[in-house]
Amino acid sequence: MRRLLLSFLAIVCLSLAMAPAAHVAASKSVGSSLHGTVNYWNAYGNGNSAEAQALTTKVIPAFEKKYPGIHVKNLSLPYDGFFTKLLTSLAGGTGPDVIRSDIVWVPQLANIRAIVQLDKTSWFKAYAKQVFPGTLSTNFFKGHYYGLPLDTNTRVLIYNKTVFNQAGIASAPTTTAQLVADCAKIKALGGGHYCYAEGGTGAWNVLPWIWSFGGSITDGRYRTAAGHLNDKGTVAAIKFLVDLYKQGYLSPSILGGGLSTTDCMGKNLCGMILDGPWMVPIFKASYPDLQSGLSLVPKGPGSGSHSVVGGEDIVEMSQSRNKPAAEAFIRFVLSPQAQIWMGNVGQMPVLKSLSGSKQLPSYFGIFQKQLKVAEPRTPSPHWSSIDDIISTEVQRALRGDASPQSAMNDAARQVNALLH
Amino acid sequence: MGSQVMKAPGGTAAVAPSYARRSRQLRRLVPIYLFLLPGMALFLTWQLYPLADAFVMSFFHWNLLEPSTFIGLNNYQRALSDPLFWQSLRNVVVYTVITVPGQMVLGLAAALLLDQSLRFRAVFRTLYYLPVITSWVVVSIMFTYLYNSQAGPLNYLLDDVLHIIPNYQIWLGDPNTALPSIATMGIWKGTGWNMVIFLAGLQSIPREVYEAAKVDGAGAIKRFTHITLPLLRPTTTFLVVVLVIGGLNTFIPVWIMTQGGPIHSTETILTYMYKKAFADIDLGYGAAISYLFTALIFLISVAEIRILRRRYEY
Repeated sequence: MRRLLLSFLAIVCLSLAMAPAAHVAASKSVGSSLHGTVNYWNAYGNGNSAEAQALTTKVIPAFEKKYPGIHVKNLSLPYDGFFTKLLTSLAGGTGPDVIRSDIVWVPQLANIRAIVQLDKTSWFKAYAKQVFPGTLSTNFFKGHYYGLPLDTNTRVLIYNKTVFNQAGIASAPTTTAQLVADCAKIKALGGGHYCYAEGGTGAWNVLPWIWSFGGSITDGRYRTAAGHLNDKGTVAAIKFLVDLYKQGYLSPSILGGGLSTTDCMGKNLCGMILDGPWMVPIFKASYPDLQSGLSLVPKGPGSGSHSVVGGEDIVEMSQSRNKPAAEAFIRFVLSPQAQIWMGNVGQMPVLKSLSGSKQLPSYFGIFQKQLKVAEPRTPSPHWSSIDDIISTEVQRALRGDASPQSAMNDAARQVNALLH
Repeated sequence: MGSQVMKAPGGTAAVAPSYARRSRQLRRLVPIYLFLLPGMALFLTWQLYPLADAFVMSFFHWNLLEPSTFIGLNNYQRALSDPLFWQSLRNVVVYTVITVPGQMVLGLAAALLLDQSLRFRAVFRTLYYLPVITSWVVVSIMFTYLYNSQAGPLNYLLDDVLHIIPNYQIWLGDPNTALPSIATMGIWKGTGWNMVIFLAGLQSIPREVYEAAKVDGAGAIKRFTHITLPLLRPTTTFLVVVLVIGGLNTFIPVWIMTQGGPIHSTETILTYMYKKAFADIDLGYGAAISYLFTALIFLISVAEIRILRRRYEY
């Protein structure tokens, strides 16, 4: 009996000794507020990406040199699963201090009070004045700013010069009518060529067309989708895509399956895609022989060229246990030097002072031009559901399950229920 | 029970109290319970407590960080009137109806073939079982490439080589073919496991029964329908129950291959629940969906066992 009890106690002690170390105590601010650890999470993919490398070999060392008492613990994750991981750790109280947040997450995080109202800090206004107003607006929710823009991007027309040459097309289309005419020439090439490839039917994919045809998602105050998501311009944009698909000009990748837009362009099977500045280094690495050009999104009839604002904001988590150090890091990543370092790996800066800077890649020029006429997506905590509704209804229209007008009427009705 | 009369040294009688016996029993049982305690503690902490907490959560509206609000049965009512909940349920039932018979028929066929003296029998058994032990994630990614509408080998084989289809199909991008495509992968992956279980069942049927049937003039088909199938009933019941539960709980292949699309044609209860809980941060609703589904699976399992349970004697 005694032997059995002793054996049991030995097992218990061994188990406790092997148990994972207790949660590391929160960094304390000792004396000065600029001490301790800042946990920074971002979706720069795995640690080998160019962005993660620039961050860990240039930005963070420079910050730590400026603030020797602060250590930055970086965690770069793939985009998929980042938000779920963030939520899970917030629920467990083990979240980071600062994150590079997709702009569409900011309203959702603000709605559940996961992030700090940065406009309440004494230094916010000075930094807000330095960034492009359009990028700053992505941080605005219910009367307050919950972060600052970190990097921005938009989608422009990327065209394949090899395919264009083969089809006898001299230059990129500037209107949708020209695009359709060019599509006929590319289709005539045969051999699995598609004129235009799109990676899906979500808002990110279709909004440049909707806005370029004069359509919209909601009114200016984001209160109703009726009369906007199903207005003449929006329906015309969806009909444009449906016609492209019916005529075989649009790659099947828009409905899932098929080559990715990157591979379609890289293998010289597609004439055009819409995509962001990250594609330039991606094409250079994956398809170094690809000859491509950049142009503005073609204008729709009676409307101008428009695109969608993308990018990421830098936000401070409410659960941060080292807010002074976290805010110092936020200010640092918005410094011109940090913005230039990240700009050179495809992360377009948000500082007005860097517009046209020769220290940045020259191809940023066309994206900055497009950004001047780019619109932000609806800042709603239900954005993921709104996006899903738009995607589903556009798919129904593409498949012929509903007319473009009927599909957009259904979309407007469903989105309205979420806005109210 | 009660006291026992014992003879003390010198011949005089003495009484041993019953608590001495109980004390002995307790001393025997205490170490057993102490050894069970860590496992039970883990079970209570990581299985039972989260289950109970999720059940409680299903009666609240909770967005993860703010205090939750009690809303009674509102989440359950919402689920029962949610068209996407019913569509997800339909999808997962269709998936199960396709995969369960498919796996079982092919698994039984393979087991019948391998239940004979064959050369390289072990090799075939291993090959059939390989898909079972391959990760669902790896298999899903592989089949996504297989089904690729522009460059996938399946379209090349069916159109360019065999000319069975008129042109390249968008297998995972067409609502009519997406779910059957994923189900086909499910059948491919699960057949080996069914084969192993059926093989064990076949080998438990006494050979004398077959010999007696042969003597009576029963042919191969009669022996299969009148001996093999009835005596495999317990195995079949087990497989039906387990496979139906597995089919209804499909998540990984759908999440990786289609994310529930196109147009929710492959949305399953678990993918829908996951999106509601973690994308929309509506955890109470996600919990309610999970408990509604659990109740449904429980009822289905009980019904299956009652319908399929019948003893056979030989």
